[in-house]
Amino acid sequence: MRHRAALATFVVVALALSACAPVAPYQRGYLARDDMALDGNPGMAKALEKTFAAKEAASGGATVGGSGCGCN
Amino acid sequence: MRAALALPILVVPAKAGAADVGEVGITVLGYKERGLIRVTEPVLWGRARFMEAWEVQGSAAVDIVSGASPQFVSNQSGRPVQTITGASVEDYRKLFDVKATRHFDDFALSVSGAYSDEHDYRSRAFGVEGRFDFNQRNTTLAVGYGQSNDRVSSADDPTLDAPRDTREYLVGVTQVLSPTALVQSTLSAGRGKGWFSDPYKVTFTFFPTGLPILARDSRPDHRDTLAWLTRYRRHFPEARGTLQTDYRFYRDDWGIRAHTLEVGWQQTISETLALRPALRYHTQQAADFYSPTSTRPQPAVLSSDQRLASFGGVSPSLRAIVKLDNGFTLEATLGYIYNARNLRFGGSGSPAFETLRAYYGIVGITRAF
Repeated sequence: MRHRAALATFVVVALALSACAPVAPYQRGYLARDDMALDGNPGMAKALEKTFAAKEAASGGATVGGSGCGCN
Repeated sequence: MRAALALPILVVPAKAGAADVGEVGITVLGYKERGLIRVTEPVLWGRARFMEAWEVQGSAAVDIVSGASPQFVSNQSGRPVQTITGASVEDYRKLFDVKATRHFDDFALSVSGAYSDEHDYRSRAFGVEGRFDFNQRNTTLAVGYGQSNDRVSSADDPTLDAPRDTREYLVGVTQVLSPTALVQSTLSAGRGKGWFSDPYKVTFTFFPTGLPILARDSRPDHRDTLAWLTRYRRHFPEARGTLQTDYRFYRDDWGIRAHTLEVGWQQTISETLALRPALRYHTQQAADFYSPTSTRPQPAVLSSDQRLASFGGVSPSLRAIVKLDNGFTLEATLGYIYNARNLRFGGSGSPAFETLRAYYGIVGITRAF
């Protein structure tokens, strides 16, 4: 039930976002900058994600299909 | 290249020929926790787009863990405290993952696989993800499914060989907001079942009268999770800087509720140098069955693992990025982690939580081709 509520909220937010005025391809120079990347350097991102996941109860969110660890 | 690969709505500038664009890199993580664990992790990774429609990325890493690990929580001294027991641990974990993506006109299909192995834990995972571009490629919708099949064992208990299986579902949207801003919001739900207890952790509880209880870590045999991650990027051309903000809400059926916010600012200093100071804040509510002491009789589920406690943490970091003319990029990050019970947002944390202080450094070199 809570998952459905979260999904419904997500859909509303997604629809609201897609109503933004379109940006033409020739206007996307800034968006292609390295510092606009959502994931950044893969090696650095993996190392940081694992470091915090080993010390906190929460993890995940960006992708699916990653392997787990014992992290004792 | 990095931004283009991460954001399918952007057109990747492709060169003619079979091998179009790509990157390879190596990073090394060093992590040191005061008085406890030390971790070294080299990661080798690469990604390439070729034949215009195919994209492949993969990585291999080794975790080298050494030092002492907290195993006991005991109240023998009058209040529950973590106790370091046994000899120093030494553990190696090997990780591999690969992801292949086939691009069509307004659609991309990815298949991924991952494998990790350590002496007491093995994990095999795969994932499938589809991305749909529409709204003149200003909007990308992603849906995904992932599954991991893990085996848990223990150096202390040769009879332990238990499964832990997880299925994950993902839906996400990436939206271009303006020529200088974009946002991505991703919702992922996981359903796990199997062995979730930590075979090395024990709760030792003394009572005013009678015998003490030695309780092994015992967690539910299922875990349903929900993580909602939203990432925002905005470039400020006049300031030559980019705001990078990530926020994640997490909840699960163990009673854990967590909020994690990271705000970074990447400042271009010169054509070759950029600096990125960042601050990460995490706060979480404890699992329902977390307790540093046992009751009598011993409850069916109980864990004194302080990662399941209520606490908060701050982590400042500074990254330097140096771009060289020959296609090489050097990156170095230094960070500090401070987790404490009084940093929990909206209330005090678990009284038995012991403050964590740790340092980490990551250095990496990337070569674009």
